[in-house]
Amino acid sequence: MDTPLREPTFWILTALAGPPLHGYGIIRAVAALSGGRLAMRPGTLYGALDRLVDAGLIEADREEVVDGRLRRYYHLSATGNATLAAETERLRRNVEAATARLGNLTPAARPVAPRPAGGLA
Amino acid sequence: MRDLERRYRHLLRAYPAGYRQARGAEIVGTYLDLAGPDRRWPSILEVADVVAGGGRERLRAAGAADLIPGVRLAGLLSYLTATALAGFWATAEVVTTSGVWGSPAFGPFATTGIVIWAGWLLAAVAYAVGPARWVRAAIGLALLLTAAVVPVAALFELPRPYLFVLLPQATLGVLALAGPSRTARRQRLVPLAIALAAALIAVGVLSGESAWFYRFSYGGAFLPEAGAALLLTAVLAATVLSLRGDARGLWALLVLLTPIGLLALYPLTENIAPVVGAGYADFRVITGTTAATFVLGGVTLAAALAIRARSSAAADTPASPVHQRCPTCGR
Repeated sequence: MDTPLREPTFWILTALAGPPLHGYGIIRAVAALSGGRLAMRPGTLYGALDRLVDAGLIEADREEVVDGRLRRYYHLSATGNATLAAETERLRRNVEAATARLGNLTPAARPVAPRPAGGLA
Repeated sequence: MRDLERRYRHLLRAYPAGYRQARGAEIVGTYLDLAGPDRRWPSILEVADVVAGGGRERLRAAGAADLIPGVRLAGLLSYLTATALAGFWATAEVVTTSGVWGSPAFGPFATTGIVIWAGWLLAAVAYAVGPARWVRAAIGLALLLTAAVVPVAALFELPRPYLFVLLPQATLGVLALAGPSRTARRQRLVPLAIALAAALIAVGVLSGESAWFYRFSYGGAFLPEAGAALLLTAVLAATVLSLRGDARGLWALLVLLTPIGLLALYPLTENIAPVVGAGYADFRVITGTTAATFVLGGVTLAAALAIRARSSAAADTPASPVHQRCPTCGR
């Protein structure tokens, strides 16, 4: 993998790292995992799922009909598993590097309060 | 079948027929899962989501999925151009004088255009300090002011900028709605910096000029240069991105042909007038050239899409691994 995964891809793969999920399940899982920051809609989700299936990162698992609604489940493929593991390792190294740098700051040099998101650039 | 399900299925016509047949039931099921039990109509956001998803799928089927990131790039370049022009004309509103003969003014400013340019500069400030939704709201407001100044100025008999200026500005503004998104903090200051640079150029070029000159001569004086700068930037971006196997620069260039043509409208009409047998660039020539610019821009883009669809049907191989692209936009 040459470039980092984009955030929606990362969260979809993370959601599918557990048991197989259908579209609605993935939307709920992504919202929960991202702390509510990423609210995907079906039109966006299914475009993403198509790309990930094409790339061989996820696979269709099974289908079932619940209350007259078709649900198709998806699971992470072996390639998707390896891709997510590599990305997770890359992020872990980033976090460790940032944590180490922050740990080197003296209390006086450390920011007292977090900067608000979207503040003055 | 419930009313809501029928309506979702109806909306799904935005998708290609083959895709609808394969995935329609699954997508409708997910929308129904997300909808509350008492819902009878899809929400506006859901309608937009279906239409956008269907559009993306149609482009993907045509082998032109990178058109959407191309439009975003065109939107960003349009936004920067619109901001630069706003900085230039806002300065012109201030530094031009009434001249010896006097000319109608709007308070201390040359025309009501100051309201428009202030709106565009406000959008640049929003880009620097606010989230993407602020920027789009500010661009929407600036667009509204750009359109509203024509009837308002006519109603109250106030001076306003020439239509040669307002038309490309509005077209750039519509494209700009697709452009700006979250970027690094330093990059957010770029539009303001460009507006400031354009303002400094305007101070040098227009200081002491008559407001008559500002109102009636600038269509042929500065807009073609802005169009040439935009064209050069778009060609450069298309070349660099193409060398990396990324076609979005080419799509952006095709999308930008229309606003570039509108920025060059004044010299175009001057050259077309004798060709069509008109003594000068009258209203008929100007409106005809404007319509031709829009039609030619649309036809060029449609032809490129058709060519791409044909070639992608022959060999459908993605330029880069799919998992490296954003699943929401394909970029």
